[in-house]
Amino acid sequence: MTARRALVATAAPAVLAVLGLPLYASDFVVALALSCLMYAALAVSWSVFSGATRYLSLATSAFFGLGAYATALALGTLPWPLVVLGGALTAAVVAWLIGLITLRLRGAYFAVLTFGLGELVRHTVTFVEKSLSGTVGRVLADAPEVATVYWTVAAVAAAALLTFRLVERSDLGVALRAVGDDEQRAATLGVDPRRVKTIAFCLSAAFAGAVGAAMAPRWTYIDPSSVFNPFILFQTVLIAMVGGPGKLRGPVIGAVVFSLLAEALRLNLPYLYMIALGVLLILSVLFLPDGLAGVGWLARWFEPPRPAATVVHPDASRR
Amino acid sequence: MTASLIADLAVAGLITGGIYALVAIGLNLQYGLLRIMNIAHGEFLMLGAYLTYALRTATGASPLWFVPVSALVMFALGLLVHRLIFRRLARTSPTVEVLEERSLLIGFGLMFVLQNVALLIWGADLRGYDYLAQPLEYRGVIVTANRVVVFAVVVVLSGALVLALRLTMVGKAVRAMLQSPLGARLVGIDTQRLHPLCFALGLALAGVAGALLSMIYEIAPSIGESYTVTALIVITLGGLGHIVGSLAGALILGMVESFGMYLTSPSLKSLLSYGVFVLVMLIRPRGLLSR
Repeated sequence: MTARRALVATAAPAVLAVLGLPLYASDFVVALALSCLMYAALAVSWSVFSGATRYLSLATSAFFGLGAYATALALGTLPWPLVVLGGALTAAVVAWLIGLITLRLRGAYFAVLTFGLGELVRHTVTFVEKSLSGTVGRVLADAPEVATVYWTVAAVAAAALLTFRLVERSDLGVALRAVGDDEQRAATLGVDPRRVKTIAFCLSAAFAGAVGAAMAPRWTYIDPSSVFNPFILFQTVLIAMVGGPGKLRGPVIGAVVFSLLAEALRLNLPYLYMIALGVLLILSVLFLPDGLAGVGWLARWFEPPRPAATVVHPDASRR
Repeated sequence: MTASLIADLAVAGLITGGIYALVAIGLNLQYGLLRIMNIAHGEFLMLGAYLTYALRTATGASPLWFVPVSALVMFALGLLVHRLIFRRLARTSPTVEVLEERSLLIGFGLMFVLQNVALLIWGADLRGYDYLAQPLEYRGVIVTANRVVVFAVVVVLSGALVLALRLTMVGKAVRAMLQSPLGARLVGIDTQRLHPLCFALGLALAGVAGALLSMIYEIAPSIGESYTVTALIVITLGGLGHIVGSLAGALILGMVESFGMYLTSPSLKSLLSYGVFVLVMLIRPRGLLSR
């Protein structure tokens, strides 16, 4: 286990340096790191459900937006941690409802219907805001400081990473991968596909909601078109798919790569950036179906060789 | 509601429904036949619309001339896209489900690329031109002339398509592939040659719809998305691989939107169509006309 110890020894100072950024770094660097953390949290939590089951969920923007709106409503009346928790809870409840309808469908129908329901949520929020409060957007008064937001998002991202690992190694994770491999066989072998899918779907939505709730104060003014922006969904799915949603390192690599790329290109050449994103997505689906995480040398670099006994057999789900 | 109002709304619904039908039949050929969930279908429609707009403003000729041009260009583009992307994808995907999911992601990629190419060339502003904007009146129902032209083209084209599918040999082969991909191959239909043609035909229909659209509405690089969603709703309504079902579904949706928007409010348009979509998915996930 010396390799692992060496990894921890090098990683620990790096983690501390990243966590301390708001104390010493410039606003620009903090914003960049915040965007990395946000997309890491979104892509990792997306992978908890979609990476294992290979159900392509396209409702991430809806959960993110719901979280942001929960913050807009609760900020000032509730303490900050409860606000974020409330965002997570709202998203999870809506995910449960969406799951009731969509989780019995597979393939493209599931993907399209989650997207449709996500849009339905957005249009409903817009309509309710217009007819009840007479406005489209909301101003976030007495919002917490940037450092607070940063550490909250970091905490959510850390929790998402931890959850991914815990789920991956638990019975739930085995059941989810079994559903992804062959749902009927999993059901025959005693897995309740509906139950495990619902749990994972709500779990992944809760994190997207928490990220949305934590990020909302960054904008001071939110409206449906900014927080329910489909771009958040596209970028999340892209990061997870290009990185490789089956492994924890996949979305993490993806988030860092894309946040840096976005910062470099998006402001100066917004259209070219989007074109590059599209081409990358097409190329990665065609040539890297397992994502960057499936590329040999990257995989070895991120995963120090382990003793044979702890290696999880790839067919563990088929015991 | 007076009789003339009902007639007005019905005519409006028929015309939008007709355009939806072209878009949806195109997508249905791609998804029903090849299992390619081309989420960028509406973007090809948008390209067709811009192509017509550019040619019309450059030459000043009647935009009707550019309907076949747009169709041909999109057909060629379809062959190219199929050759470069989807042929490889179909060969490397282990199952149909994987193919559907991967093609969906590729579609998102194409959507990014096409939308932003259009933004680079034409910018984000609404663009349009005047063509036969004068109103026609018949027994109190008032419609602009361009809408009548558009509707006539839609009727002729979709009629020709349905007839071609019924009567010609290629049409029969396509229908056989829709009914049973494996069976079609067993009776000697060359699916490898027909697949690119069907994909390209789907895009050509989108190109036609785009060209027609540019005669009635102003266009912007973002118009494609809503047509993709509408086409998906129509396919779900009419059933996968049902060409006639798509036609019926499109007209129903056009009517629902036309009357629904009048009875509630225009800002509810997307809420209405998504509502119909979710409802159909709940009740008949395999389509209203499916057996």
